[in-house]
Amino acid sequence: MGVVAAAAVLSLVGLGKADAPLGLLTAAGLVALGLILNLMAPQRRAAMTPSVIDAAVSSTPPEPGDVQTYVSALELAPNPILVVSAEEADDLAGRRIAFANASARDLLRVAREGALLVAAMRNPNVLEAIDESLFGGLDRVVTYEAGGPQSRFWRVWTNPLPGTPARPRLALVIMQDETDVRLNERMRADFLANASHELRTPLASLTGFIETLRGHAKNDEVARDRFLAIMGRQAERMARLIEDLMSLSRIELNEHIRPSGVCDLTVAVADVVDALSPQLAAKGVAFECGLPPKGEAWVAADRDQLIQVIQNLLDNAIKYSPVGGVVQVEVDVGLTLEAAAGFRPDARRLSAPDGGRMSLQTPTWSADVRYAILRVADLGPGLARETLPRLTERFYRVEGQKSGERNGTGLGLAIVKHIVNRHRGGFLVESAPGEGAVFCVYFPMSSAAGGSPGSKNERNTPLTDASAREEIKLS
Amino acid sequence: MSTNEHTLKFFGEELNQLKAEVARMGGLAEAQVADAIMAVSDRDVTLAESVVSRDQRLDLLQHDIERKSIRLIALRQPVAQDLRRTVGAMKMASILERTGDYAKNIAKRALVISEAEPITPLTRAIERMGKLVAARLKDALDSYTSAELDQAMNVWHNDEEVDEHYNSLFRELLTYMISDPRMINSCAHMLFVAKNLERIGDYATNIAEIVHYEVTGEEIVGDRPKWSGVSRDGGPNSDLEA
Repeated sequence: MGVVAAAAVLSLVGLGKADAPLGLLTAAGLVALGLILNLMAPQRRAAMTPSVIDAAVSSTPPEPGDVQTYVSALELAPNPILVVSAEEADDLAGRRIAFANASARDLLRVAREGALLVAAMRNPNVLEAIDESLFGGLDRVVTYEAGGPQSRFWRVWTNPLPGTPARPRLALVIMQDETDVRLNERMRADFLANASHELRTPLASLTGFIETLRGHAKNDEVARDRFLAIMGRQAERMARLIEDLMSLSRIELNEHIRPSGVCDLTVAVADVVDALSPQLAAKGVAFECGLPPKGEAWVAADRDQLIQVIQNLLDNAIKYSPVGGVVQVEVDVGLTLEAAAGFRPDARRLSAPDGGRMSLQTPTWSADVRYAILRVADLGPGLARETLPRLTERFYRVEGQKSGERNGTGLGLAIVKHIVNRHRGGFLVESAPGEGAVFCVYFPMSSAAGGSPGSKNERNTPLTDASAREEIKLS
Repeated sequence: MSTNEHTLKFFGEELNQLKAEVARMGGLAEAQVADAIMAVSDRDVTLAESVVSRDQRLDLLQHDIERKSIRLIALRQPVAQDLRRTVGAMKMASILERTGDYAKNIAKRALVISEAEPITPLTRAIERMGKLVAARLKDALDSYTSAELDQAMNVWHNDEEVDEHYNSLFRELLTYMISDPRMINSCAHMLFVAKNLERIGDYATNIAEIVHYEVTGEEIVGDRPKWSGVSRDGGPNSDLEA
């Protein structure tokens, strides 16, 4: 399989732009190909020893066509690949990136050539391994965890490369993402711990009722019906809990993978509002929607997960609204990170004795990203400041909440937080006791559909505008 | 003219070298913090011990960077941004060294905590706060290596998240200690772990301030957004320390 993949890479001749030093990239390309082959096909490891690669390097004088191939191969490889050059051992500023392939440029946010090595990589173990390849001629393998909101685990191979007259010391760095494996282990442990802990209570209550029904309530028809009803609710709760836990596990497994789809936030909100109308009617709660026209709030999102976020937030708002209350649902677009994080603060809530506003999830800053924000405000009992940072913890219960209101699973906001994190978005809460609560989520807008001014005008024709309004009114 | 150019080029390289050394030291401090947090959450004694023993490297690096900065100032007499970069490197080195000290302290406490019974919800809360602090430190150091002003300002503005985690953890720890006096020993150590993490978060903010000064030559004006009245409800009185 590895051979096929390599052949595919090799067949993409001529796609790369060979503006890096040719001899260097030929050698790097061959060694990299060998190593990638090794990664893909462990059983072939014995065949691809360094001496075989050395032989391949020395027996293949670079021809212009070949060089193109190797550059393309390096450039197209899914693994982040770096070629590092160095001067003297004590000259840290001399360690520079001689070449970074597309995947490495994207991951480490560096230019193709010339950046300081420490600007791309600071992990001491990896730097040490690179040094050992540069100055000691050793092959090394290390693992490290890159921090940040979407933490990832990497395995890093470093290998010495044959130098060129201009750059005598070179090393090849190949990275492999091992986040999936690590996360899988971790999620399994978490899931078991959470599930066994949280299912214990409803299970104990079920067992208790079964015993009662077998014992003294055996022939009491009224009690039996009442108990069966309670047991039914407990069983439903257990089912919901398992469903939420599974959903959370799935989201966490993909948290480091950016969603690839795009989705109109306005349409998604309108859909959820529609679907919730029976619950609204049952509780006598009304929605007050302020949504931009359809086609203006394109966000880079997985539609199902976006719906889940909106659903969870609106569910909560309905749940905590007083009978006859109003829930405000608003969407705004084109905000910078600062504007989204400071979106429409309410002085009344912020100045209340125990009120406050805080971020439950802040995306990593990156230039030129604009956000679309969804703001959901209810008139419920509100939350005290000290509870705010803990809202997204699994199974966190606000103290003093009546047990009758505990019909949720305690996972709703944890799910929101993880989905938002996966989308590189943000999550805010603002609340004060007695003043209701506001939850805001913001998502990066999609550059593909966010569009140039021209396409925006096109969308703003009266027809689409009217139809968008129509749709919102329907809800 | 040509000697002058040569001097300038050489000087630029020296500054780059200094920056690279600071960045490398930053990476080491980052790893120390991450490992210390992991030592607490995984009850990993070996890891805790290696964090404690590695701290010396940060001390050595700090001395080295300070010595080089002073030499650079004495011999080259830098002005404007060059001077700010040199002084910035010295400041960074001392901040990173102290960050390392806090990591070492956390690791030492991890040794004590791992001897007691595990209190999973608390270690999870510490781990969450630790991840947040580590992410802020990473952002701050990224803004230092890239000299991105906006990124630095973003770090500077988002300090409250860490503070709020700290306050909430503080309350949780108090509750545990009141409910079960046998837990007081390990809870007290956890309290210091949380405090140390909060201080590391503050250092990330300081790094952002250094980056701002280095790039613009001006100090950040205005107060950082902070909750007022933290002490009112029995929380840790972080206002007193400011």
